Amino acid sequence: MITRRGGALALAVLLSAFVAGCGENPAPTPAIVAASVSPDQLVGKWGFAAYHKDEDRARTIKEAAAQCNRPYVIAKGPTGGVMMNLADQKELSELVLKGGPTGQTYLGPAGAAGGPDDRIVTNVDANSFTTVWVDPDNASRYGTSVYVRCGKR
Amino acid sequence: MTVRVGLLLRLVLGVAFAAFAGAGAGAQTPGQDEMNIVDQPGYQPTPDEEQLSGAYEKQEVFFRTTEAPGTIIIDTKGRFLYLVQGNNRALRYGIGVGREGFTWSGLQKIARKQEWPDWRPPPEMIERQPYLPRFMAGGPGNPLGARAMYLGATVYRIHGTNQPQTIGHAVSSGCFRLVNDDVIDLYDRVPVGTKVIIRQAVAL
Repeated sequence: MITRRGGALALAVLLSAFVAGCGENPAPTPAIVAASVSPDQLVGKWGFAAYHKDEDRARTIKEAAAQCNRPYVIAKGPTGGVMMNLADQKELSELVLKGGPTGQTYLGPAGAAGGPDDRIVTNVDANSFTTVWVDPDNASRYGTSVYVRCGKR
Repeated sequence: MTVRVGLLLRLVLGVAFAAFAGAGAGAQTPGQDEMNIVDQPGYQPTPDEEQLSGAYEKQEVFFRTTEAPGTIIIDTKGRFLYLVQGNNRALRYGIGVGREGFTWSGLQKIARKQEWPDWRPPPEMIERQPYLPRFMAGGPGNPLGARAMYLGATVYRIHGTNQPQTIGHAVSSGCFRLVNDDVIDLYDRVPVGTKVIIRQAVAL
């Protein structure tokens, strides 16, 4: 039979264990937000160019359109994503589109949005889109990338 | 990603130092000491990295020639570019020589000059590094560096670089590269029309 003192002790141990363990609880899993961009919008052949200064954006878009003689080809991945290169990676990876908590669209390996291998996708229309790497080093080196579809839809 | 790049840079620097230690400044042969380095678009070297020392630092040297002052003479084997000053003197700059530069010698003129040139990686580079953009607008970190001087109607050019560690070496791409401070200095000294002589070796 458990005495009143023994019961209080057990309760205290239980509470202290609970309090001590608060900081070690796993972080809540972020809610998965559907991306507003579909993989099909990225599939195709693209003129691919980059710039670092905003004043170069307009001419870089023109240059991207002129690069369709050596296009960057984005194919559909086996599990519904898109096949693209990560930064400095020669081999293709399957990347997925992910919605961010503030409405941004991310493109990267499966997992939480905004990871270091992700890029932010903006300015998406039928014939072009723009990306910027999340990782500051990649963003600094590669700047802003623009993709212009070869053969307009 | 930063770790990956850092590792790559260390590997590249290791190759560079090994190649430098194993070859004299004037005895390189294309293919034997070629630095195995990929282009690093966007990489911005520190001022310390861009500071050359020893033979490859810009300096005035004894240089006997019948060419007129203002002529550029490129010694691809020795990895030097000379700007003739007259009175048996020349300004000498250390250069890196790309594969395209080795296959060629001849006489040209500077046909065009460009500040912060745009960069279009050649097809073989896209094959090696398919993740590269096919065009990158000029600016700091651009592989062509701060200035370019185009040679005649050819694809050859004298240009800057964002990889100062390649000076003194044969590299897989490009033509004749100088560190950015040097290419800016040269650019300011030579007008369009300047005579450029490219030789496999230069007798002083």
